[in-house]
Amino acid sequence: MTAKSSPPAARAAVREIGRHTVIRLVGYYLFAGGLLLLVSAMLPENPPPGIAPSTPMPSTMGGMLDWFRGEVALFPDGAPRWVDALFQMVGAVVLVLPLAFTYVRTRTRVKFDHSLVQTVIMLPVVVTAILVVVRDSLALAFSLAGIVAAVRFRNNLRESGDAVYIFGAIGIGFASGIHALSVAAVLSIVFVVVELALWKFNFSADFERTFARLCLPSGADLAGLPGSNEPPHPEPAAAPATDGKTTRLRIYVDRPEAARPLIETVLARDAKRWSFEAEEQAPDHGAPVLAYRVRPKKSVGLENLRGNLLREGAPHVVAADDTPRL
Amino acid sequence: MSTALPLATPMLDPPVAPRDHAAGPAGARVTLVEYADFECPSCGAAHDVIQAARRAFGDNLRLVFRHFPLRDSHPHALDAARAAEAAAEQGQFWPMHDRLFQRQHALEPEDLGRYARKLDLDMVRWSRVKALPSTEERVLADLAGGRRSGVRGTPTLFINGARYDGLVERGPLLNALARAALAPREPGPGR
Repeated sequence: MTAKSSPPAARAAVREIGRHTVIRLVGYYLFAGGLLLLVSAMLPENPPPGIAPSTPMPSTMGGMLDWFRGEVALFPDGAPRWVDALFQMVGAVVLVLPLAFTYVRTRTRVKFDHSLVQTVIMLPVVVTAILVVVRDSLALAFSLAGIVAAVRFRNNLRESGDAVYIFGAIGIGFASGIHALSVAAVLSIVFVVVELALWKFNFSADFERTFARLCLPSGADLAGLPGSNEPPHPEPAAAPATDGKTTRLRIYVDRPEAARPLIETVLARDAKRWSFEAEEQAPDHGAPVLAYRVRPKKSVGLENLRGNLLREGAPHVVAADDTPRL
Repeated sequence: MSTALPLATPMLDPPVAPRDHAAGPAGARVTLVEYADFECPSCGAAHDVIQAARRAFGDNLRLVFRHFPLRDSHPHALDAARAAEAAAEQGQFWPMHDRLFQRQHALEPEDLGRYARKLDLDMVRWSRVKALPSTEERVLADLAGGRRSGVRGTPTLFINGARYDGLVERGPLLNALARAALAPREPGPGR
């Protein structure tokens, strides 16, 4: 069975970003953007000249903006350095959070690195602080280079793609540190959009078989690669290993090939996240068992989901046993 | 060369009848009959396993409970069984059954009365039915049926009429139930 002929439900559930995720991200960016704009108006790096507070509002757009900045500016003569640094750091954190979210969303249980999430969030804060300290001082920049050269960090990342998140976080921190929050915002948005798109469409996976054919010796076993005749095993959507809401369902069936489409249609509808784990054979020639990791939708609940599996999976599904919450 | 004769699997006798306490549809793919004693710790452990099986199988499983009080080793077992039967007379057998298994360590008469009150039973009626000789006869009839079916200890389970000799643990029991559910169905009431 090729990936194209796999059941529609199974395909739909693989790498589904989800409407709610998109809405949340867009809402977050709108809120964060508005907040940062407001705060940047209140803490202008260079206060607008010539607009005294409490003067009448000009009629031109540029004049209106300058008037607004003059009205809301907390420090008309320029914010103290520490306030400025605090704002840039908070801005960096606000803009890097979507990167951390994207990392969690797109990584599987095996590839997920808990410490990297914290690193991605903290790194721009530190980078911003360094740049605030260094500013335009060449001497400080050389000192920093010397310090960095003296300290060695060696750590293997679980996946080469994780390095991109590190660089993304550094980029946001850098932009924030030089008062270019707008650039940081653009970097954050472009990063998240491209990363989610690459993950969703599993870019380049379709060429894996071609590469294998070119690079491996002739006659090499290509089973399991995309495009082979092996049944597809969808990569699980990112779910932390212990989120407390995910259940392992062991579903007893008569014929797995007949039961899977029925089961996965129900899961695609009633589960927030699910992934196929394995097909097991019960001992003593028992019934085949299909194991899934399932996080039921809140509105459905585990018991209703199980009932739907039994009802809509009949006659192929006879039981769905849940192990304690993972 | 001698050939070992296969031992016949003991079958349920009498078969499931309307007088039995049954939970689940009569047309379920599997009927699980449990002979148990409310004071038996192994039955308490099996209760959790069977509840898991009921959840897993849904309407594919019918559970039938029969009393098998081991009066020699469990002095409160018969009284608890009578309390359950008296609750059944008011349509509350399964809630009382669950409560008794959950509180196996407290089966004194005052405890049983407290459980009955918790279930909002008519206490006068419950006490009267519990004391009736016919209630005890009903329990002892189950016990006699169990002995005829080859029950030697508790809990003993019958899956579609055949005695289950495997471990009363979640995995093995669910496997056995699933195998029975997928086996070709034989007509007849004796399952």
